[in-house]
Amino acid sequence: MLSRTRILPYLGRYYSDIPKYNPAFINSSSSSNDAHPKPTHNPTFDKSSGTSTSDDEIFHFQQLAPTWWDTWGSQRILHKMNLARLDFLQRTVRNQIKIKNDDVYIPGFNHHDHLPGYVTKAIDQDIFNEVQRGLGEKKFDALDIGCGGGILSESFARLPFIQSVTAIDLTPECIEVAKAHAAKDPSIKDKIFYKFLPLEKVHGHYDIVTMFEMLEHVDEPSEILRQAWSKLKPNGVIFLSTINRDPISWFTTIFMGEQILKVVPKGTHHVEKYINSSEIKQWFEDNVQGRYEILDTKGTMYLPLTGWVEHDCTNIGNYFMAIKKLN
Amino acid sequence: MLSSRILSRSFFASAVNLQAKLTDVLIVGGGPAGLTLAAAIKQSPHLSDLSTVLVDAGDLKEKIGGFYHDPPDNFTNRVISLTPQSKHFLENTVGVSLMEERIQPFDGLYVTDGCSNGTLEMERDSMGFMVEILNIQSSLLAKLRSSNAPNLDLIDKTKVQSIEYEDPEDTKSWPVVTLDSGEQYKTRLLIGADGFNSPVRKFSGIESRGWFYERFGVVATLKLEYPPFKIRGWQRFLPTGPVAHLPLPGTNSTLVWSTTEPLSRLLLSLDDDVFVALVNAAFILEDVDLEYYYKSLQEGTITGEELIQDVDFRINEKFNSFKDDSVIDEKYPPKVIDILDKSRGRFPLKLSHADTYVAERIALVGDAAHTTHPLAGQGLNMGQGDVESLIKALEKARQRGLDIGSLLALEPYWADRYPTNNMLLGVVDKLHKLYSTDFGPLVSLRTFGLNLVNSLQPLKDLMVGKVSGPSK
Repeated sequence: MLSRTRILPYLGRYYSDIPKYNPAFINSSSSSNDAHPKPTHNPTFDKSSGTSTSDDEIFHFQQLAPTWWDTWGSQRILHKMNLARLDFLQRTVRNQIKIKNDDVYIPGFNHHDHLPGYVTKAIDQDIFNEVQRGLGEKKFDALDIGCGGGILSESFARLPFIQSVTAIDLTPECIEVAKAHAAKDPSIKDKIFYKFLPLEKVHGHYDIVTMFEMLEHVDEPSEILRQAWSKLKPNGVIFLSTINRDPISWFTTIFMGEQILKVVPKGTHHVEKYINSSEIKQWFEDNVQGRYEILDTKGTMYLPLTGWVEHDCTNIGNYFMAIKKLN
Repeated sequence: MLSSRILSRSFFASAVNLQAKLTDVLIVGGGPAGLTLAAAIKQSPHLSDLSTVLVDAGDLKEKIGGFYHDPPDNFTNRVISLTPQSKHFLENTVGVSLMEERIQPFDGLYVTDGCSNGTLEMERDSMGFMVEILNIQSSLLAKLRSSNAPNLDLIDKTKVQSIEYEDPEDTKSWPVVTLDSGEQYKTRLLIGADGFNSPVRKFSGIESRGWFYERFGVVATLKLEYPPFKIRGWQRFLPTGPVAHLPLPGTNSTLVWSTTEPLSRLLLSLDDDVFVALVNAAFILEDVDLEYYYKSLQEGTITGEELIQDVDFRINEKFNSFKDDSVIDEKYPPKVIDILDKSRGRFPLKLSHADTYVAERIALVGDAAHTTHPLAGQGLNMGQGDVESLIKALEKARQRGLDIGSLLALEPYWADRYPTNNMLLGVVDKLHKLYSTDFGPLVSLRTFGLNLVNSLQPLKDLMVGKVSGPSK
């Protein structure tokens, strides 16, 4: 057991490591790198273009690759989080479906509080059927940046409105694991294209671009955002999730997650790389002003018995965000 | 290197099962749980596109399916009590039209202690519904046929010959099911709805624990002298086990008599009229009278004719002791005058509970996961609850893009059902044990308890709520 005297300096040391709030944070690429020496050599491709991640990050995920798909293994908490990601994603996509059928009544108020149960049930059922029909016509192409072992990519590929998933990562071992795992499922093996590629080398444009639990692992998040934005079709949506840079995030993700409960592999997170939700918003305001709409932002937290749940405090801990590219 | 090993492995594995057909769900067992699951999958907007195969050894399509369109005049002897929740799930979620004219709702239970005057009277309108199992099965088959669901294969008169993993070394690979017709199916999710001796459970390696009660349930379809004054179930706890008769439409009624193995054999061997006399005696006379009848019958010291006369005499004596005749209708079920020919049958009673209901690519439902004593009428309802919960878990998994065979997708089903089923199994087991003795002090204690419960309406409401759902 950790004694009080041992725990306090420990806490203090980490507190002081957390960089102070700075809206320009994600635009500055060099400050966060000081603690982690820049890679001097990369065996496969030139990283001078700048969206790549550092070697020690790649090395870390190399170690995790073999147990990536063990849902009771090192990545269990990530498998659990994937459930919350997909709930967020489904809801956002469903909310984007326009109901064109005039016969469907859409109440402009909270009908659950004002109408009898059987009426609200019928209304919900009508809307659900209509959305289901609308969604059935969609054929989205998705790009999953930083796919790791393919937890999200596979879930994506199984959704009926997703036509194809292009999934990239910079850890070749993860790509191998992802490929081997997807090959076992005949319903998705022809829908996912795993590539060991940096983002800037990806061709084409996509309806959905995802960066889940990824921006906090790269050296230049602003460059990634710029590249991702350029791969997005008009009306397309970027889904991203990362972690606010605050003491609570350090406490939950590193202290509790990695050190105490050990539900997250050690060395997964570096608090100085975390990005505040306000900084993401600021980036869009600075770079693509008037051409974007933030569809939703939700905080998310892990409850050991329940799994990941959403909350409305978006500036603390982990969060999801959906940003649409306006036409 | 890693990938080449995986590739070569899956190459050899697939060569073995080259002709195996692919399916998303394969259900072993066409009992109420298996058929409900198949119909519910086809009815769900999130699951209906899953290719589904159901395999059963019996004659599902003609013999069982035919019951719906050409039902017999008489009632069959396998009757269960369906709770309002189970009925609601079947009718509203699965979209089944049960054969209403063969269902009898009942408005209460009258429970007595065979060794004392302990009484518990529970009342609620449509507390449960007495339904023939064939009614449920054939209605489900009719639903499956009428909806003409694509991607659904009902394979009857066929047994499962063997089950193995596609890659024997990888328990996450898809199970390959070989049928005795020679057909092979490779399935994403294998459902064990295959009863107490579930081959699927054995394949999964999931342990099931429990014990035999050393009791048998004797069933029969009864004819009553007149329609019941109050439509309710009657249950009397004898030291050998509870005897219950529950209403069917008109003057019909169904009997479940739990008793010891030798007595169950005796009850099955008796002539119809002697059996009828004993059933009447079981609800009205004292346990010592019954003991005397059993003993005399077993030793052959009493003829059937003498027994019938003796029972009639003693019942009349008892009824004459009441000043007010209306008490008789209040306290005792209507007189049984006959039983349906060849409707007597017996089955062993046991408790079993699987350690888990899910494994990678496998889920168990119904009796494959748990069996219970019939004294609370919960067995089939627990299976319906399983199916309802599994469907919810699969729907959620589908919306989240999970592989429906993965443990991650199936875990919520087990987490949801295990505690509920465990509670029901435990309560039923304790009740059985509490009432399977005539030890004086314990009889006094349980009589005091039962009468106390009987006078506490809120507690009764809570108990009825547990077995029949919250009141409307």
